[in-house]
Amino acid sequence: MSKNTTLQQIQSAIQSGDLTCVELVNTYLAQIQKTSDLNAYVEVFEEEAIAKAKALDTKYKNDPTSVGKLFGMVVSIKDVLCYKDHQVTGASKILEDFTSLYSATAIERIVNEDAIIIGRVNCDQFGMGSTNENSVYGVTKNGIDPTKVPGGSSGGSAVSVQMDTCLVSLGTDTGGSVRQPAGFCGVIGLKPTYGRISRYGLLAYASSFDQIGIISKSVENIATILEVMAGADEFDSTVSSKLVPNYIQELDFDTNKKVKIAYFDTALNHPSIDPEIKDQTTQLIEKIKGEGHTVEAVPFEYLDYIIPAYYVLTTAEASSNLSRYDGIRYGHRSKAATNLEETYKMSRTEGFSTEVKRRIMLGTFVLSAGYYDAYYGKAQKVRRLIQDRTNEILNDYDFILMPVAPTTAWDLGQSLEDPVAMYLADIFTVQANMTGMPAIALPIGTHSSGLPIGVQLMNKHFGESELLSISKYLINLLK
Amino acid sequence: MSTIYDQYETVIGLEIHIQLNTNSKAFCGDDAHFGGAPNTHVSAISLGHPGTLPRLNAQQIKSAIKLGLALGSEINSVNTFDRKNYFYADLPKGYQITQDNQPFCRGGSVMVKTINGERAIRTHHIHMEEDAGKSIHDLDPNHSFIDLNRAGVPLLEIVTEPDLRSGEEVEAYMLAMRQLVRYLDISDGNMDEGSMRCDVNISVRKKGETTFGERCEVKNVNSMRFAKRAIQYEVKRQIDLIESGGKVRQQTLNFDPETGVTSPLRDKEDAHDYRYFPEPDLPPVHLSNEQIELWKSELPALPKELYAKFTKEHQLSDYDATILTEERPVAVFYQKLAELNGNYKAVANLMINKIRPYIQEQKIHIQEFPVPVNSLSDFIQLIVDGKVASAMAYQRIFPKLIETPNETPLSIAEQLHLIQSADEDFLMTLVKEVIEKNPQKVAAYQKGKKGLIGFFMGEIMRASKGKADPKATNQLLGELLRK
Repeated sequence: MSKNTTLQQIQSAIQSGDLTCVELVNTYLAQIQKTSDLNAYVEVFEEEAIAKAKALDTKYKNDPTSVGKLFGMVVSIKDVLCYKDHQVTGASKILEDFTSLYSATAIERIVNEDAIIIGRVNCDQFGMGSTNENSVYGVTKNGIDPTKVPGGSSGGSAVSVQMDTCLVSLGTDTGGSVRQPAGFCGVIGLKPTYGRISRYGLLAYASSFDQIGIISKSVENIATILEVMAGADEFDSTVSSKLVPNYIQELDFDTNKKVKIAYFDTALNHPSIDPEIKDQTTQLIEKIKGEGHTVEAVPFEYLDYIIPAYYVLTTAEASSNLSRYDGIRYGHRSKAATNLEETYKMSRTEGFSTEVKRRIMLGTFVLSAGYYDAYYGKAQKVRRLIQDRTNEILNDYDFILMPVAPTTAWDLGQSLEDPVAMYLADIFTVQANMTGMPAIALPIGTHSSGLPIGVQLMNKHFGESELLSISKYLINLLK
Repeated sequence: MSTIYDQYETVIGLEIHIQLNTNSKAFCGDDAHFGGAPNTHVSAISLGHPGTLPRLNAQQIKSAIKLGLALGSEINSVNTFDRKNYFYADLPKGYQITQDNQPFCRGGSVMVKTINGERAIRTHHIHMEEDAGKSIHDLDPNHSFIDLNRAGVPLLEIVTEPDLRSGEEVEAYMLAMRQLVRYLDISDGNMDEGSMRCDVNISVRKKGETTFGERCEVKNVNSMRFAKRAIQYEVKRQIDLIESGGKVRQQTLNFDPETGVTSPLRDKEDAHDYRYFPEPDLPPVHLSNEQIELWKSELPALPKELYAKFTKEHQLSDYDATILTEERPVAVFYQKLAELNGNYKAVANLMINKIRPYIQEQKIHIQEFPVPVNSLSDFIQLIVDGKVASAMAYQRIFPKLIETPNETPLSIAEQLHLIQSADEDFLMTLVKEVIEKNPQKVAAYQKGKKGLIGFFMGEIMRASKGKADPKATNQLLGELLRK
């Protein structure tokens, strides 16, 4: 299976008669079975995936030109993406047994292009968490070392790709939730520009930060599925109507071209950073320079303001976004409640995890009368400053390079003891969400502990093409 | 006799909610019309299902701007939406999308006729928001029912300055506002269907004082009559409280129309903290000057403009002009007719005395009135030219015209033998007859009892079956009586 890591390879194998969709799906299903201890999947759409594969095999046999762009792509989806007539719970008890009436725009688009959705994968409740330990379905474990977390919140997505149970996984990234688990699991994770992919059908955590992200082992696959999902959508007023490029065609890096890359000294020398991560990042920088590119340290004075501002703004939005889970129309309703107020209080108390409740409380506080200006208002100003400064840097440089996270994957249970420490670990990924810019996490090496180390590249708004092509270039460079 | 109540002045500000008559809801494609079986005008979006997002209905923006332009408000070029967070069973998302910071319109005013003459009631601002669903508590002792058909229907909230001084003024303001939204065709303005609802802020102060008293807000007053009664009750309550040494506390009150009494819903201390913040799912709406100017040019003539035209250019009375401008379709019909026939007073009379009562009786729209306007113009001309007596025309020709709208008024008049005659021989015979029959009255007239002329005219008209031309008859009669 591992030889077929790109969709193109899979499609060639099908074309040459070496592979059928049914065989492909069965291989993935066997792999899901084999790795089930890791708890990546919360639901496997086994029969449905096989049926779809059969139908696609017939369709292809009858007319090879009739199949869609994602023919042969098997995808897992994070449990925050709506798929019509399938359950979606945000890994929360509050949505137990909830079935979506509609499909997210992104899901609808990939299904229309003949992608096969093989299952629903685990995550931190409503995307809140960096370890995937905050799920009603229990923790997902890192396939490289099951005593470690896979990262989060899209931990199930990262592990499902890491363990070859699917070709691509769709996650969501509000503060690093696609890139950080990709980094912890040694796979590639892209968070596109805010507004590149419709958020319609994505269970909202923080609306002005959330974006669907893509995890895979190959940049080609990411480019292919991104192109299908991206673009205008009448159901999302914040999505961009900017033309969607042909990412695959723009994937090849022009080796004559020399790029300018910025990095922050404050990031590389941050007190929280693991020395091996610093070393490997520095080595990568030297290697890139060795190819004739420019890589320079630039000052970025706001690094330590990013996390506090991010948590004020995202929890504020979350406190409002999660109000709809009230036990009235759908989802968990406390059986002990005897009136309206009790229905709210008890259903929500029973339904949400500690971490979700913590963020709702925090968000409610920062928006409340008398505190708004000091917290929410101030954090908005910080966001603006960070956006302006980042724009400035990217006017002079093609990319910003950073580690994905200050450390490698943590021990299971470690983060639960100190949630603030977990928040601070998002320090390098959050900037892309604060600014809405696209960023990608790539594996660059292995720590002495055996865990993967990743690097992150960030680009201007809608610079996904350049980001994907430099990623492909760097991956080849590191081979 | 002056009472203690006369020493006080009432100060009232209104928050009026206007339900817009758009086809679909404010932020999704669901049917926005009134009625329908409960919970049938809903979708995943209006039910607040996970992952759904709002999308703005462009029609409601135009409605808001039209109203703002009609009130002379300032129109904001950058408009943003906010979330108002609170929990209620009929609020699916747990927040309402509204405008807190940058409403579409600020300022402006409505002219209202009061007992002290016409006054401008100023608008503080107009903002847009979505309606909540409906909670029904009286169907079952143990359960409440929720109908979400109304959830997400677009509303405009008009917030006035505290310029109103009595229940009568409030009623006049509400009527003016209802007239306006109907003219603009942005709402049906029906209070009984909840298309127009009103929260009333009431305070009292001693006459002559310049600062306002502590105010109470009476919620959801759903008819003008209730508004007047609620104000009456609340003003008396507040004055009694002050006079007995108490203090009015800032409160939100509920008005019970059955008892006519207001009762506290909540105190200021436990007022909701709505935690307003910018709605991240909706980008700001930018309006260009060109767009605003275009909408301005599309505005229909407003009641105050038509009133001015009818009283000044057409020389109609205040009474006539008020009735004719009350509803736009009537005003439009009148104008059409007045364009064909310049006898404005006669046109107004026909509109007010015959056409308007007829459509009200038949419960039809004025556009469905069966007689074509050119025929109505001919009808008026028959009277103006003295061919038919106006009483005869109204009583006999008009009903026939409605029955057979394709016949000309003239031919109907001829069939009914109602054409007045100015023929001197015909008239001379009639006049002579009457004079001969009433010698005593003739003598009395000649001795100076000039009022008897009316008696002679009446007799002649009766004898002629209404066909005698009154002008010619009068002249002839005068000549013969003087002899």
